[in-house]
Amino acid sequence: MEPNGKPILQIKDVSKIYKTKGGLFSGRGKDVVALDRISLEIKKGEIFGLVGESGSGKTTAGRLIVCLEETSSGEILLDGQPVTGLKGKRLKRFRSKAQMIFQDPYQSLNPQRSILDTVSEPLTIHRLGHAGDRKDRVREALRSVGLSPPDDFIYRYPHRLSGGQRQRVAIARAMVLNPDFVIADEPTSMLDASISAQIFNILLKMRKDLDVTQLFITHSLAAARYLCDRIAVMYRGRLMEVGASDQVIQNPQHPYTKALLDALPKFGHSGNRKRYGTLLTRKREVTDELGCNFFPRCALAQENRCNLEKPVLKDLENQHLVACFLSQA
Amino acid sequence: MALLEVENLSIGYRTKQGYLKAVDGVSFSLEEGKSLGFVGESGCGKTTIGMSLMGLMPPNGSVGQGRILFDGQDLLQMSEAERRETRWSQIAMIFQAAMNAMNPVQRVGDQIAEAILVHNPDVEKDAAMGQVEALFDLVGIPRDRLRGYPHQYSGGMKQRAIIAMALACKPRLIIADEPTTALDVIVQDQILEEVKKLQKEFNIGVIFISHDISIVADMCQDIAVMYAGQMVECGPREAVFESPVHPYTKALLSSFPTITGEKGDLTPIPGETPNLIQPPTGCRFGKRCPGASPTCSQAPKWVQVGPGHKALCCHC
Repeated sequence: MEPNGKPILQIKDVSKIYKTKGGLFSGRGKDVVALDRISLEIKKGEIFGLVGESGSGKTTAGRLIVCLEETSSGEILLDGQPVTGLKGKRLKRFRSKAQMIFQDPYQSLNPQRSILDTVSEPLTIHRLGHAGDRKDRVREALRSVGLSPPDDFIYRYPHRLSGGQRQRVAIARAMVLNPDFVIADEPTSMLDASISAQIFNILLKMRKDLDVTQLFITHSLAAARYLCDRIAVMYRGRLMEVGASDQVIQNPQHPYTKALLDALPKFGHSGNRKRYGTLLTRKREVTDELGCNFFPRCALAQENRCNLEKPVLKDLENQHLVACFLSQA
Repeated sequence: MALLEVENLSIGYRTKQGYLKAVDGVSFSLEEGKSLGFVGESGCGKTTIGMSLMGLMPPNGSVGQGRILFDGQDLLQMSEAERRETRWSQIAMIFQAAMNAMNPVQRVGDQIAEAILVHNPDVEKDAAMGQVEALFDLVGIPRDRLRGYPHQYSGGMKQRAIIAMALACKPRLIIADEPTTALDVIVQDQILEEVKKLQKEFNIGVIFISHDISIVADMCQDIAVMYAGQMVECGPREAVFESPVHPYTKALLSSFPTITGEKGDLTPIPGETPNLIQPPTGCRFGKRCPGASPTCSQAPKWVQVGPGHKALCCHC
């Protein structure tokens, strides 16, 4: 099913600041701004890609959305209901609708629990069905992620599964509650290419069969292009560029997106691809944080402009949003 | 004469379940100043090959048969003392997990100086430190970081320090085992460019090991594709990358998403890699191969498909 335009997730002006402790004598440490006033909308049935380097805040964004952490300011709405500050019963109900698939399948599964226990646990917690019923739902979930016949797997423990199989169990666990919204946080960064392709295809199938909206967090533009309808590129806690995935990759407007594309291995992507050359070889020294986050590394940046004010996202055309003074001009 | 010539190398590990043949009859050669890339999925034996070239096998691993000729001398016939001489001064390695490859309680500069001092006992400590400074300039780390500890370095800087350490004794061969796997794309690009530049400058032979075929193609003139302990295809990168013949190479290439060209479907490789304790007698890829036929139950032979380009397959 194609995305039908109705937003299921709205992120409004969300910031997340981590306070650090500082040294023994230096008093309070510096605040780390992991997310800086992010606004986004994800449509129902869409696969939305959040792309960025490590430390760009993409995982933090994911954790805020499923309410694993509190926002410092701003509002997150899922299906029109605020996510921030949920507690008790309402948090539990929310969790049955929004699920997360974590990065490392070697750590996200409890080694002491069988696959049946692991996948049926969400059902037990949410008191869905009785024991026999649950087993059927587990079988169904395992089958849908390609672990078939499921009876070969349900009594096994994680150590007897390969990395790809473990990640599929993690997906089955996320899917067993029929959530509306799933966050996949770099689900294939620990896996081989051929196995990654299996996982991608399972995520695509989930959307096709069950109309699950997904936020796909990744550092790979190529994976995001394959999987996502729209992409947002993040850099140091701010959104740099948002748009349809082909638009962003074929016609990037932000210097940082261009730098990311430049950095991909050239050989495999045909030699005639043009280089944008937007990355400075030597970082600029900056004393304050007033300007664009990419200013210190941007080869195109203008003094007295980019270092004085942070650009905000503006629509260039057809919902292609860019936060850069130079492309907005 | 080639800088490195490996003939029919087999390496195995003793495990609880039995003898695991991680590398089975692999042959290749590398000329001075050239680069050869090994690609394959985890468990295909590529890291094992690198470790055997360094002579750093774990206690349960051993070379079953074969020869590793470095500069005409068989490394496997050398005594441990002789190998220690060649290790690092002639053959150096850039390890996979740069963050764990350094001693956390020793200054980075001192660690690199130590590598120089051990192999050149007549060098003064101050002179060694001077060399380390020059190395830092070379790999692009500011000199004032010389007295820093590894935890004060970022991931990319640690990787640069590891490269500096590999270059410390001016080796003729460097084995780079997934040197950029844990790094972001922009840092990865910078490090790879650095390695390319240094390789050219010092005419170093490089064996590059990675699971990412596009990085290998970017870095190396020649590519060897490994599957389940065997080399299945090798040749110049243009040939292997643009006109692959082995079904596994084709499958591997079509399972990578790219950012150019058609967005076509990715085709995952069905099934699992075979168990190497009791490997299948015929073609090891047979079970997962879309074009398999009854002849594939026989052990496949090498087929020459182009200049320097060959594949281990009954159907090529």
